[in-house]
Amino acid sequence: MTTTAPTPINDPVVILPAVRRLRPRRPRWLDAVGLLGVIGLGFTVWLGLWVTPPDKFQGNLARLLYIHPAVATVALYWVGIVAAGGSLLYLWPRTRSLFWDRLAASAVEVGAVFAALTLVTGSLWGRPVWGVWWTWDARLTSTALLLLLEIGYLALRRVPADTAVRARRCAVAALLIAVDIPIVHFSVDWWNTLHQGGTFIDPGFQIHASASMSWTFLLGFVAFSLVFVWLLGVRYQIEVLQDAVGDEELEVSLAERWSEDTELVGAGTSTGPANGPADGGGAS
Amino acid sequence: MWHDAVLVAGKDLRIEARSRVGLWQVVPFAVLVLVLLAFAIGPNESALRHAAPGIFWVALLFSTVLSIQRSVAVESGEGTRDGLRLSGIDPAGIFLGKAAAVGLQLLALQVVLWALVTFLFDVRVQVFWLAALACLLATVGLACAGVLYGALSAGLRVRDTLLPLLVLPVLAPVLLAGSKIWQAALSGNVSSGTQWLKILVPFAVIYLIVGIVLYGPLQEAA
Amino acid sequence: MSYVDAGYAIALSTVFVYAISLLVRRRRWDRALAVKESTPDEGAAAADRS
Repeated sequence: MTTTAPTPINDPVVILPAVRRLRPRRPRWLDAVGLLGVIGLGFTVWLGLWVTPPDKFQGNLARLLYIHPAVATVALYWVGIVAAGGSLLYLWPRTRSLFWDRLAASAVEVGAVFAALTLVTGSLWGRPVWGVWWTWDARLTSTALLLLLEIGYLALRRVPADTAVRARRCAVAALLIAVDIPIVHFSVDWWNTLHQGGTFIDPGFQIHASASMSWTFLLGFVAFSLVFVWLLGVRYQIEVLQDAVGDEELEVSLAERWSEDTELVGAGTSTGPANGPADGGGAS
Repeated sequence: MWHDAVLVAGKDLRIEARSRVGLWQVVPFAVLVLVLLAFAIGPNESALRHAAPGIFWVALLFSTVLSIQRSVAVESGEGTRDGLRLSGIDPAGIFLGKAAAVGLQLLALQVVLWALVTFLFDVRVQVFWLAALACLLATVGLACAGVLYGALSAGLRVRDTLLPLLVLPVLAPVLLAGSKIWQAALSGNVSSGTQWLKILVPFAVIYLIVGIVLYGPLQEAA
Repeated sequence: MSYVDAGYAIALSTVFVYAISLLVRRRRWDRALAVKESTPDEGAAAADRS
């Protein structure tokens, strides 16, 4: 598709202002939140690695506790609230809006990244403390299962479908995950307790927190939470864009398909060529 | 035949690269099997360490079934298989190509599984070459036997339940030999493992040859 | 490298890389949408997008 006149379409400088005119959807507050989050993270790292003293019991290892619980809180609680809450609000007829579906889906993706990060940071903390990289305790195991369930959700979301159908399907999937994780947590907890007769490896810790440590701890929570909000926001924007582009493509390919069919009327069955569209769901 | 094989393998791998079903569905499934088996065998760490080789191979076998189903499914569209046949591509080449594509995906999966088993079950492979050799040989056998049985069940409507039932018993020797070799590789006792290679090698060779010979007739019969 | 350093490095780099990837994806979809809306004919479906 070549033209002799220079097409301004491919010039990014031209596109972005054009897009802004069409869709004013870049709220300033989101970038501000992101910036605050990054600054917070920077301070957390500085305080966590250098300013705060080593712990009386755990030494320098305690420094990971400025990171790991914050990441875990995001992965388990914030993500859970947004994904489950959004799914509920989508399914509820009075509040039904694709906004909630897209928000929930964004939360799940960001959540998967944070869940993986929780496992890695937890593992790094656990290795010197317990001597093993992994232990099948309730918290780690349910986080691992959460990650797997989130991957399943994301796989489900990629299956091509009508937007409303996909939204309903994913909303139910998210709610099932939200219900399932506590069940998994309790059963694994019980599994461990019965086996080890009561006292088992407690991923809790003994820590003598000084003032600077407590503040850094809190700062870590706040910083990661702000970063989560920003990531959620940008991911949501991508979701909106994908649906907008996707709708147009669907219309276009439907139009093409209909025009093909009218040409084939009376031509009998066609022996399909081996190059059908490569899609994600070829099974029956 | 070889040229056709490369063609078909390239096609299958390109479809996978675009749709990423293997990455997003088969790999998580394999991980899930690891976790579920860990649940089944219990929180006792030494029991898990002891069971780790078997768990690796069971997860691999189940994932192979999924991989095969996917490999068959990419051609399940209307007329696709007929088109492939009419295109003049050597059926033995199709077999080799599909087996190669499945095999490569299985190898990638094994890398992930290997890392995870080491991580989750607190084991470490002492004799790397033994474990790696077992994986390579087994992969050839799994891919060839799998694609062959995939073709067997391809046109059938009960394909999804029939394929596991048909192929898993056939793959059982791989599970057996693989687990034993890995036990040896984990404990360092090489001699007890190498004798089991005597199962993996013929298995791979036999199914490679049988596949080349029988794939064409199978396609005609379908 | 200590476990602590590794933990901080992995946590920060993961968040950073993911954030960058989101920005890149948003930019790509922005472009795709802009192209789609500026060329109303059916040929737009074949235009560059990812």
